Amino acid sequence: MNALIFTTILGIIILYLGLTKNKKILAPAGIAGLLVTLFLSFNDWGLGSAYFHNMVVFDNFSIAFNISMIIITIVIFLFGIDYYKMMEFHVAEQYSLMVFALVGAFLMTSFSNLIILFLGIEILSIPLYILAGGKKFSFKSNEASFKYFLLGSFATAFFLFGIALVYGASATFYLPEIKTYIAQFKGNLPPMLLIGLLFIIIGVAFKVAVAPFHFWSPDVYEGSPTLVTAFMATVVKTAGFAAFYRLLGIGLLPLPESLEKALWVMTGLSLLIGNLVALKQYNFKRLLAYSSIAHSGFIMLAMLSQHDRSASVILYYTFVYSIASVPLFIIFILVKRASNGLDHLKAFQGLYKKAPWVAVFMTILLMSMAGIPPTAGFIAKYQVFILSISQGYLGISIFAILMAVVGIYYYFNVVREVFTDRDHLEPLVITKLNAGLIIVCGIAVVVMGIFVWHLPI
Amino acid sequence: MPEAGWDYAKQTTNQKLNQVIMVFLFYFLSAIMVISALLVVFSKSPINNVIYLIICFIAMAGHYILLNAQFLAVVHIIVYTGAIMVLFLFVIMLLNLNKAIIPQKSAVTRIMAVVTGGIFFLVLIAATRQTFVINPRYAFTSEIGLVANVGKTLFHEFLLPFEISSVLFISAMVGAVMFGKRDHAVGDD
Repeated sequence: MNALIFTTILGIIILYLGLTKNKKILAPAGIAGLLVTLFLSFNDWGLGSAYFHNMVVFDNFSIAFNISMIIITIVIFLFGIDYYKMMEFHVAEQYSLMVFALVGAFLMTSFSNLIILFLGIEILSIPLYILAGGKKFSFKSNEASFKYFLLGSFATAFFLFGIALVYGASATFYLPEIKTYIAQFKGNLPPMLLIGLLFIIIGVAFKVAVAPFHFWSPDVYEGSPTLVTAFMATVVKTAGFAAFYRLLGIGLLPLPESLEKALWVMTGLSLLIGNLVALKQYNFKRLLAYSSIAHSGFIMLAMLSQHDRSASVILYYTFVYSIASVPLFIIFILVKRASNGLDHLKAFQGLYKKAPWVAVFMTILLMSMAGIPPTAGFIAKYQVFILSISQGYLGISIFAILMAVVGIYYYFNVVREVFTDRDHLEPLVITKLNAGLIIVCGIAVVVMGIFVWHLPI
Repeated sequence: MPEAGWDYAKQTTNQKLNQVIMVFLFYFLSAIMVISALLVVFSKSPINNVIYLIICFIAMAGHYILLNAQFLAVVHIIVYTGAIMVLFLFVIMLLNLNKAIIPQKSAVTRIMAVVTGGIFFLVLIAATRQTFVINPRYAFTSEIGLVANVGKTLFHEFLLPFEISSVLFISAMVGAVMFGKRDHAVGDD
């Protein structure tokens, strides 16, 4: 709770620091504040304290996810120092909006009341709608912002309708009470409750871009400023899946058969659509968007396996995925700058000639995304498959493994471009900070893949 | 609708009359709501759409009063009818949208929209057919919607959601300032 309050204040402090017209202090101030938040979160570890009539519960699950999101946000802020160097206006607003989004993410990991989940999703989303349109003079950015806003509010309407129906049936917003209410029907739910639950699932599924509700994500990822795309692909995804797991894994599962079938279909479709459509993508951000849809499928698989270890596996998966995504976006920005704003995969051509070590780290990061040992991405996928097979979901596990193999192809499409030569090479300008981030994240991916196979939860 | 479980035998004629009036009002307001909501969808001119929506909202406020939620009814009228809808009207007038400019979609899109909407409608109808009366967990009292009670619930049980929504508003305001301010083009990343 202290972390939540402090983060809110931090956002306002950054907003006021914007008045000093000194852009250089914004990111360090934000990072210092986030480090304090990190410390406060660690302090709450193991207490499992509930606040405000059990509306929010800061148990180890939520704190572990919060810490992982804070670390990723710090990395993104460090990336922001270079990214926002050229931007003159509204830098403080961008940072503070990201911090406010983090507040929403904290609520999403710790809710035990549907109202808080709703508020968390909204507090996370509204800053994102604004951030997506951060490049005011870019048509694509405007399109991304507007598309995200319209579709997002539509999904919110569904979600709210679902909450209303569930409340109408069970007369409570509290997840444990809803679970006992559902249990009394022994799988034969009244339709009102069934539709309500389905709508709630649709609302959350939209946020994490699971397959039938994924149409917004490629366009929004492509149009948004790259730093915001990195934030969406990592922190928002982590928060979304933490909320999804809290809602289903901790809260409501096992659900009646019809709903679980719907969830399995969503898993299968994410794996299929994400991986197959990504094969045909030549824009790097769109490629990562489809790859993130595919990753959603794997995380859903871990969630639906319904094992005690699911939470830990999801945490490991999202963290590893995030820590590999951010440096990829950083490298993409560097390459894009060097090739006059080209965002085709061809922009990566000649990277090996220009900066061999960047090419090597890029390969490692993409290997982690594809799930090839010795990187952490392999361990993450391996644990998901072990979990789902041990719970007896053999068919879908084999399908998921096949799709993971398909995934290797499009990640290595990028690697191929990296090692392809180009005739005229523009110099690649890398600041020390960005270089450090790429190296640290790259090494972290390998070290985690070899030594750290579990994150405590 | 009046609460279920009333003891009809003990009621005086006055109460019975009250109940008849309540039922009449319920159906009257519902009819207005349904008709105006349909007109919102079917009428072509944006100004008419907004006016019908206002009528729909006023009828909804009437429903709140029937349920003894006076506070909600007043807030509903002030916020939706007063603020938001007037804003809508202003925007429409300023942008001079007083013509039917609904873009025509292709036949495939329309058919798909009709099919998906129809399936959704069917599911909802099927759900309502099987709906049963749920015993209210909280006893109905005539004071449930009064300002004092709403305030007590809001600042006691729902204090956290109430306070935390300030973060939502501040980020929305930041966004409004960010988009509203005039500045010139800068580097593209």
